[in-house]
Amino acid sequence: MSASAAQKVDPAHATLWARHYAGHDMIGTRTFGFWLYMLTDAMVYAALFATLGVLSHVVNLAGGPSSSAFINPVYAYGQTITLFLSVLIYGYSMVALKNGNRGGVIGGMFVAMLLGVVYLVISGIDIGNMFAHGIFPQVSGFLSIFFTIIIYHALHIIVGVVWMLVMMIQVAREGFSANVVYRLINLRLFWHFQAVIWVFVFAFVYLQGIVA
Amino acid sequence: MTEHMQDPLNHPEVQLANGRAYLASFIISMLLMTVGLWLAVTHITTPLGTVLMISFLAGVAVIIQGYFILHMDISHAQVWHTVAMVLFLPLFVVTIGLTAWMFHGLYQRTMIMPPAASSMAHMSPMSH
Repeated sequence: MSASAAQKVDPAHATLWARHYAGHDMIGTRTFGFWLYMLTDAMVYAALFATLGVLSHVVNLAGGPSSSAFINPVYAYGQTITLFLSVLIYGYSMVALKNGNRGGVIGGMFVAMLLGVVYLVISGIDIGNMFAHGIFPQVSGFLSIFFTIIIYHALHIIVGVVWMLVMMIQVAREGFSANVVYRLINLRLFWHFQAVIWVFVFAFVYLQGIVA
Repeated sequence: MTEHMQDPLNHPEVQLANGRAYLASFIISMLLMTVGLWLAVTHITTPLGTVLMISFLAGVAVIIQGYFILHMDISHAQVWHTVAMVLFLPLFVVTIGLTAWMFHGLYQRTMIMPPAASSMAHMSPMSH
């Protein structure tokens, strides 16, 4: 496993086993574990989207408004722009990490965090507008799952924003130690995964909500 | 995956960062979502056609993001992440698809449809 493919192997002296323990890849083990955890989080989303599929049937409107009556896609589109931009800037922060540029990592993460805050503000205005028009989660089964999905996603963004704040402090204090680096990679997995989930939320909750 | 790294910045999962791939993912995803928004707002096709096209656009965007920003490839550093994702996908699809399918049948057998809705074919948002 540790033999490099680029090195030529002399069949007369080749060994078929590793003579020494190659070492425990702490970073790879932890990022893989976190990736499995993110996939379980995606299973929670699967349950939520399955519930949306069930509860968006017309019998679950319970006299409340249908999604096409109140969804304003302008806010959701603004959230799309800010979240995708934030993911892009976090990606540039990871390029700075690759180059060992501490200021670049902190600066990129700061901008990505600010964009996450903007996302939350837009989300808050959108939800506030709905509440002002009497559109509450308790009105109908459909509205319950609608708010559950968008608030569950917003909670992830809050976690990401707080995590970025913590990582900026850790990078400033510790530099790029192995512990800080694996956390930065885990945060990249987490943050970039939110963009993928948002594609589902934007397409299936907001856009198809306008059409339905 | 077993190489012992002296400098954590030399770890392959740090070195796979790629600014151009992230920019490409951003531009393509924004274009796809903008087209989706335009389709939904203008009602240019039938509702079913719009739903199918938005689902298609979302699927393309997810594949683009999965490849460019989640690095779902078969490189030495990422292959087990990709394997885990491939094993996860059937669970995701089956959970949503079977639930929507079962309840679609259940509603028709058990629920009294509102008169306005009886002519309206139910459409699952995930369109499975």
